[in-house]
Amino acid sequence: MQDRPTAWELLDAVAELLEETIMPATEGGVRHQARVAANLCRIVQRELETGVQADRREAELLAAVLGGDAGADREPLGEAHELSQELHRRLLDGDESLEAEAWPALLEIVRAKLAIAKPGYDTYDYSGEDR
Amino acid sequence: MVRAGLQRFLSDRWGEVEVGEVRPASAGARRLNVLFDAVRDGETLELAATVMPTSAIQIVSIDIEASSLRLAEEAGVPVPHVHAVCTDNCYLGGPFFVSSRVPGISVGRQVLRLVGATPGLGARLGRQCGEALARLHAAPTEAAHPDLKRPEETGTVASSLARIYGELESLLQPSPTFTLAYKWLERHRPTDPPRLTLVHGDFRHGNLLVTVSGLEAVLDWEGAHLGDGLEDLAWICQRMWRFRSDELEVGGFANRSDLREGYEVGGGVWKDDAFLWWKVYGSLRWGIGLAKQSMQHLDRSFRSVIMAGSGRRVAEMEYDLLMLVRAGNAG
Repeated sequence: MQDRPTAWELLDAVAELLEETIMPATEGGVRHQARVAANLCRIVQRELETGVQADRREAELLAAVLGGDAGADREPLGEAHELSQELHRRLLDGDESLEAEAWPALLEIVRAKLAIAKPGYDTYDYSGEDR
Repeated sequence: MVRAGLQRFLSDRWGEVEVGEVRPASAGARRLNVLFDAVRDGETLELAATVMPTSAIQIVSIDIEASSLRLAEEAGVPVPHVHAVCTDNCYLGGPFFVSSRVPGISVGRQVLRLVGATPGLGARLGRQCGEALARLHAAPTEAAHPDLKRPEETGTVASSLARIYGELESLLQPSPTFTLAYKWLERHRPTDPPRLTLVHGDFRHGNLLVTVSGLEAVLDWEGAHLGDGLEDLAWICQRMWRFRSDELEVGGFANRSDLREGYEVGGGVWKDDAFLWWKVYGSLRWGIGLAKQSMQHLDRSFRSVIMAGSGRRVAEMEYDLLMLVRAGNAG
């Protein structure tokens, strides 16, 4: 076990430095980079909190669309990656019947990614724009 | 240094010219835009110059860009007037053109603040954008530069799809959402426009100069090409240009009906199916672009925390795409 601070706590310290010290002391392009860097720290913090569960859920959803079960004993990230590759391949090959099933699963997966990368982005529902 | 170069160039072209202080306008990743005054025969000219740092990395030759600008101006699109084009690197170290200086702001958040403080400006701007695009799309393309990018023989829609397909296969990590959107594009192809039109290619905040009176000029013509005009109309309607004013589809300042009204008043023909198709196409192209930016960071060809962060913005485009193609998919 590593000593405190934890990974999350260290990212918090770096983000705080960027937000409270570096950003006010810089301007223009450098300030923008500092803002982006701070935001990336926040993303990784959220990923540390819920990333593993999200990967596991993604693997389950993809496996269900592809007509199988997610291997419970497998490492979720690697499995999500592999299943995602398979779904990409089958969709590209023109398996149309898969599309209607894939859509809600992909939406749930993307919402989970946004909860980490950009919370709140999915509150706009695009009503009226899809035609 | 830029000042001395501009002074030497303009004096070679126009006779005795005195160039004043040169100020940077915006610094794009590749090109430099500067503003300056030049005095000729006692008359002060308000000018701007667009400079490519070296000819090696320019995407489009400066000749082609200047030719598109001139074509747009003749068609009645508000653009800066091009005074002179220089392809000789001896003045500024790279090719450049000198144009008139147009007042206005272009940064998206600033434009939206101005719109918020000026009653009626948003809808007017939306109509003006539509009208400017209608004029652009009516420009005689026979007069376009012979080397201007144009679709393959297979047609506008087919060659755009082919380009996207190649890019889908080159990603580090597959996105089934992108693939789903690609299949939607394949199945919902609109018919090609009856004639090719001049397309700006990047009609959005940052490239539109705005004042309280409305649209003053359309800038940055390096992405201009021949194709389907609906591509421009759909691009300014991408969610990423709204800066959280999501309900206003056109750049966060106007409704689609305003844009359409201006386009039709200007003589343009609006097509709903092609509009939605180009909107999905634009989101997918941008999403792939974000993924590729993170690849450039990872393979060290363009190391940058911003490029790295782009990889985590891919999910935004995936969400937008799923929403846009939901008809027929969401049950």
